[in-house]
Amino acid sequence: MIDFDLPFLLAIAKFALVFIPLCLIPICIFMERKGASLMQDRYGPNRANIPLLGGIRLFGFVQNLPDGIKLFTKENFIPRGAHTFWYLLAPMIPLAVALLTPSVIPWFGPMVVEGSRGLATVSGQILDADSGVLVLFALSGLSIYGVVLGAWASNSKYALLGGMRASAQMISYEVSMGLSAAGIFLIVGSFSLTQIVEWQAAHTWGIVVQPVGFVLFLTSLFAETGRAPFDMAEGESEIVAGYFVEYSAIRFGLFYMGEYAHIAIAGALLSTLFLGGYQIPFMDTEAVRANLGFVSGAIVAAVGLSCLGIAYMVRRWARIYSRMQTTDAVDRKREYNILNGAFSVIGLGLLAVAAALMVLVHPAKGGLGAADIWPLWVNLGTAAVQVGTLVVKILAICWIFVWVRWTLPRFRYDQVMALGWKIMLNIALVNLLVTAVVAKLVKG
Amino acid sequence: MARTVPRPEMTLAEKAYVPEIVKGLKVTMGHFLRGLFTPETLPVQSYPETPSVIPRNYRAKHRLMKRPDGEPRCVACMMCSTACPANCITIQAGESADDRIEKKPVKFEIDLLVCVFCGLCAEACPVDAIRMDTRIVALAADSREKFKVGLKDLMSWEPKDYPDNDTQSQKAPGGLLNAEAKKQWGIS
Amino acid sequence: MSNSYHMPVLPKPDGKKVTINVDGRDVEVPEGTNLVEALKTIGIATPHFCYHPDLPVAGNCRQCMVETDGPRGMGLAIACYTPVRAGMKVATDHSSEKVKTARKAVMEFQLANHPLDCPICDKAGECSLQDNYMSAGGQTSRMREGIGKQYKGSPENRHQDSKGQDRGGKHLDLGPTVILDQERCILCDRCVRFMRDVAGSEQLYIAGRGDHAFLSTFPGSELSHEYDLNVTDVCPVGALTGKHFRFHQRVWNLVSTQTIDPTDSLGANITVDHYDGQAWRIMPRRNPDVNKSWIHNDTRLAYQKLSENRLAAGLFGKNEIPLSQATSRLGELVRGARKLALVASGHLTLEDNAAILALAQFLGSRAEVFGGSWLPVGKPDNIARSGDPVPNRLGQKLLGIADNLDELVRRAKEFDVLVVVGHDLWKIAPSKAKALEAIPERIVLSAWHDDSVAKATLSVGIRSWAEVRGTMVNCQGRVQMMQAAPILPSPDLEPAWQILSSAGRLGWTSELDAFRFAQGRIPALAGLTYRNIGPMGRILEGVVA
Repeated sequence: MIDFDLPFLLAIAKFALVFIPLCLIPICIFMERKGASLMQDRYGPNRANIPLLGGIRLFGFVQNLPDGIKLFTKENFIPRGAHTFWYLLAPMIPLAVALLTPSVIPWFGPMVVEGSRGLATVSGQILDADSGVLVLFALSGLSIYGVVLGAWASNSKYALLGGMRASAQMISYEVSMGLSAAGIFLIVGSFSLTQIVEWQAAHTWGIVVQPVGFVLFLTSLFAETGRAPFDMAEGESEIVAGYFVEYSAIRFGLFYMGEYAHIAIAGALLSTLFLGGYQIPFMDTEAVRANLGFVSGAIVAAVGLSCLGIAYMVRRWARIYSRMQTTDAVDRKREYNILNGAFSVIGLGLLAVAAALMVLVHPAKGGLGAADIWPLWVNLGTAAVQVGTLVVKILAICWIFVWVRWTLPRFRYDQVMALGWKIMLNIALVNLLVTAVVAKLVKG
Repeated sequence: MARTVPRPEMTLAEKAYVPEIVKGLKVTMGHFLRGLFTPETLPVQSYPETPSVIPRNYRAKHRLMKRPDGEPRCVACMMCSTACPANCITIQAGESADDRIEKKPVKFEIDLLVCVFCGLCAEACPVDAIRMDTRIVALAADSREKFKVGLKDLMSWEPKDYPDNDTQSQKAPGGLLNAEAKKQWGIS
Repeated sequence: MSNSYHMPVLPKPDGKKVTINVDGRDVEVPEGTNLVEALKTIGIATPHFCYHPDLPVAGNCRQCMVETDGPRGMGLAIACYTPVRAGMKVATDHSSEKVKTARKAVMEFQLANHPLDCPICDKAGECSLQDNYMSAGGQTSRMREGIGKQYKGSPENRHQDSKGQDRGGKHLDLGPTVILDQERCILCDRCVRFMRDVAGSEQLYIAGRGDHAFLSTFPGSELSHEYDLNVTDVCPVGALTGKHFRFHQRVWNLVSTQTIDPTDSLGANITVDHYDGQAWRIMPRRNPDVNKSWIHNDTRLAYQKLSENRLAAGLFGKNEIPLSQATSRLGELVRGARKLALVASGHLTLEDNAAILALAQFLGSRAEVFGGSWLPVGKPDNIARSGDPVPNRLGQKLLGIADNLDELVRRAKEFDVLVVVGHDLWKIAPSKAKALEAIPERIVLSAWHDDSVAKATLSVGIRSWAEVRGTMVNCQGRVQMMQAAPILPSPDLEPAWQILSSAGRLGWTSELDAFRFAQGRIPALAGLTYRNIGPMGRILEGVVA
């Protein structure tokens, strides 16, 4: 018998969090394209516009929309000789995995709510199991199937080459990924990700106690997601597009989105294990609940200030642009004025909201009923703050992914294998050994 | 005979690999921040909003110069088509209505896809009938046939687009140019 | 200008030689020839305007000056009117500065009042003024800007141009074929001499005197003669130009193919000038033994017919069929005929006629060959025509084709297949040819949609005279080569001999096969090859013209 009470409703509501990596995809893509181009001393996409009021360009943010439309409307073809069923199935697998994996990531700290049968603890993970992280590793191993299936079913030599290389690379780096994270598991003493985050909240971040492990894990994540410098599976200039060369339109789109979703999940994993997850630095969950007003006000103020900062940058660019003799000066001026106004108003509004939050919000224990628990609104507010923190950390790591991609040249396949098996594995083992020794010495 | 070129040995820091990566990351971040906060310093031209600067002597699409009465200056002597190294000019001569001029082109076609823009036709012309100073570099058409420009297309330029360009380089009686020449000829 | 001129003495191939001293070395030259010709035999070209080997010498341009020894030492003399004398000393521009200066001076005089017409002049590229300037002149002009040139021409044509300059007579209509530009005329007198001494009808003259002399027709008369377009050849500059070629094409683009006049049995040597797959004009070739340097107006304008009304495919009744289909149908009809009449043509080459004979030979007694022509024969005019409009009449006769078209008309009902090759019977004599309509299968091989094609049941297009390579024998008994110009209206067209060869399964692959067959029938052709016939032709031994 299912009781449709508050914990149940919250458990159902948590499923919405699974879509966060999916929603981060357009932001990730925008960051990648603009970031890459600015690093290369050029502007990146800045022409796609919404044809209202002379063209709203939003500095290239609109580019995602035409890209999506293009991917949807391109011709879907199946190459001659392709194994149709597996060919159609293959792109779905990475994205499906990308929707499953966020279920084991803790999005917020455990909250205690009043249920129909008394107090119940709602965990931040959708799937709260003791073997949390193992589930995650297992699921990400499944995404390799998508690669191999796609490569094989394409009936193309390039695809096959790319697929074989990609799958070999991913499997190799699974091992070092597991071993480099093993240090954290040893220290925390549990596989459950919520416990790991709570440990970090109580002590220090994982990166402080396991710096080597962090670097190894980060590198393994680059290899797992197939990002530069480990992207010889795509190898854009070598074997065209590698394992998805024969895919077009939305099937390619699925692979593409799957890749970015995996980056977001990698970011979530990295931050959960080493960077404190949903925890705000120097404050654990209880402290946040107690000072919810202050914390949320500070965050909103930060957002408001950055809006004002953006407004200032827009004004500055508008001034510079109008000094160049351009043929579209009138349209751009109009747009920049609108943006400037919008961002300024939003910024100021957010500052006002922040002030209000800080002044007016004073959470107190108790409330409804006699139970000594925080009110629901406090719990939900804290959860929102924590989810936001995690998202910020994920975006920061996505930025690091982009940064590294456009800095480092690609590894050769034999170099990748050598690195994975000969260097990283050994360092991870040594790291584990040293961690074990030190842990024993410290704990006694 | 192989000559061994001494390669610089990698220092320990370079061998460790990670410090070099960090240095690289610093470079890229520098470029990124520069592009983000001072985008005007980027060497990017927002074409077509920012117009390209084309030098005055640049050899672009041809134009056929006109006499004061609107007829082409060309007398179909075929010096240009003979001089052309790419064989892209086709001319058919005919009688001119003005019997002082006698010869004029009935058909004058340049295949712009074949033209190598060498300027030899402009040099060869004895009457300064063909020039390549239009500075029109964006030649676009949607079929190969449309790239063969004819007499009308080559004469479709406005004198007001060439204010400092002497449209009458030949001397009229008494060494006169432009307005004076037109007055002398009785053409306004 | 004096009325008594002498024809230049030209070198004869077996003439006596004398020794003279040219530029310090002794050379042997033909005796008694004009010095211009003598120097040409030893490879020295002398620039000239008014001299022409086939016209009486005038000696008025003074361009061909060389230094010769005389009673008062070495002095300038015109080479065109100085006969060679044994032991004379000659200094050309290779060794004499005086000669160089004299030639430059004459060039300057010629160019002084010559209009700046090169861009619009048709003669550009083959103009003596241009060529002689490059070889003998090369000086910078001393004409001052603003002074302008003096008008040249008849006073009634004097006018001011748009730049206020004094101009003379431009593009004057002399007659039905020729346009005169009096300004360009250098008064060399060649056209006057031609019309008077060669054409025999003095229609041009140089009027006025001295600096005001100009070329003109007689008042109230025009220039109209069946040889009048030759004045455009002899004119060294662009003063006299033909209306038929005015502004059509620049001559440096044209490629010349050497061939023979198809309109007359004298077989005047001509070139077909073509460019870009089209024939633009016909020019005479100099052959002192046949036509000198002249051709009739009809010969010159024959190129115009090459592109109009051509039969480029096959015709079955009124329907056009591909040539391959027409040829195979022809083959079937020919091989399956009960009695076949083959009409040969004196308008075709020896090779084509040989193919007709070979086909008849293959078919045995089923086939009979008829030849000759119904065209009336005129009288020779001793310029470039013999009067006989059938060019290969003698060739046909030598091959043994009898002149028996009338017999064919009489016996028309005996035949069931008629093949007419290159012979427009229905146009020449429609009343006689009507009788041939009794023959049920009438096949015509023709290059044009002519009257015979209209009356045929099957027509096959063939190459015209300018597009075939072959030989013809002219009325002098001279065999002459015709070369093929690349001006086919359709790339599938074949010469008549090739179509007949495939009809009769003769297996001929080139004209040489046909020529060898002809050699078998004509003993006089023995030992001849296309190469040793040469561009001037060869007189056949033992052939009575």
